[in-house]
Amino acid sequence: MNKKLPVLCPSCNSELKVQSLHCDNCETTINGLYHLPLLLKLDQKDQDFIILFIQSSGSLKIMAQKLKFSYPTVRNMLDDLIKKITKLQTEIS
Amino acid sequence: MIKKLLNPFVYIAGGYSLLIGLLIIFCTSVIGYYSNIHFPDILSVKTGPDYPVSYYILQSIANWMVISTILYLFAVVFSKSKIRLIDIFGTQALSRFPYLFTALIGFSNSMDKFGRYILWQLLEQGNPVDMSAGTMTIAIVLIIVTLFLTVWMVALMFNAFKVAANIKGPKLIILFITSLILSIALSAFFTNQLIKLF
Repeated sequence: MNKKLPVLCPSCNSELKVQSLHCDNCETTINGLYHLPLLLKLDQKDQDFIILFIQSSGSLKIMAQKLKFSYPTVRNMLDDLIKKITKLQTEIS
Repeated sequence: MIKKLLNPFVYIAGGYSLLIGLLIIFCTSVIGYYSNIHFPDILSVKTGPDYPVSYYILQSIANWMVISTILYLFAVVFSKSKIRLIDIFGTQALSRFPYLFTALIGFSNSMDKFGRYILWQLLEQGNPVDMSAGTMTIAIVLIIVTLFLTVWMVALMFNAFKVAANIKGPKLIILFITSLILSIALSAFFTNQLIKLF
C-alpha cells in the first residue's frame, strides 16, 4: 500500500515538520527538526506531473501524448503548478 | 460522456481540432446551401437567401474568423500563459459542430412555413399560410432543438476559450461575453458586405 505523506497537521492544519528519520537496515533513528523539501509539500498528482515532465525531457507535446490530453490542457496544468510552487516559495521566504 | 460533449478540448486542440473544425464548417455550409439555412452572424440561424454555395462557405468562415481573432487578441493581452494561435482557431472551429445539426434541420420546411404563418397571422405580411397542428408541433419542436444546439455551441465556445487561453474566474466570463457581443456585431457587418458582393 502506498501511504500518503501527510504535510499538514490534521488537528490545526499547520505545516508539519520531520522530527525523526529511521534506517530499516541498521535500526538507527535520527531525531531532529527538519523542514519538508518544497517538492514533497506538493500533492501526489503534482509530484507525478513533475516526474513525467522530466521523463519527457520537458516536452509538453510528449506529455500530452502520454497523458492523452490536449497540448493546452497540459500547458495549463504546468502553469497552475508553477503558480502553486511560487506561492509555496513565498510562504517559505 | 457529457463532460466530453461539453468540453472535448481537454483532449483535442491544435492542428487536429482545426482540421476537424474546418471540415465541419465546410460541411455545415454545403448542407446549409441545400437546406436553405444560413448564419448571418456567429449565433443567428435563418432560412437562407438564394445565393451560391460560395456565399454560405464564406459566411461560415467569416463567422469563425471573427470570433477566433477577437478571442485570440483578448487571450494574448489578458492571459499569463503562452497562447498558441492554432489552439484558439482550432478549438473555435470545432465548437461550430452543433450547427452542423442546425443546418440539417433546414431540410424540414416546417420552420420556414411556421415563420411565414406567424408573419401573416401577426403582421399580415406575405401570403396566407395553412398550417396543420402536426406541422406546427414539428416546427415548435425544431425551434426548441435549434435553441438547444445554440446553447450547446456557446458552451463549447466558452470551454474552448477557457482551455486554449487558460483564463479563469470573472475575467474569463467578462472577456467571453465581450467577445461574443463584438463578434455578433462584426460578423453581421461582414454578412452585409458579403451580400453586396453576390
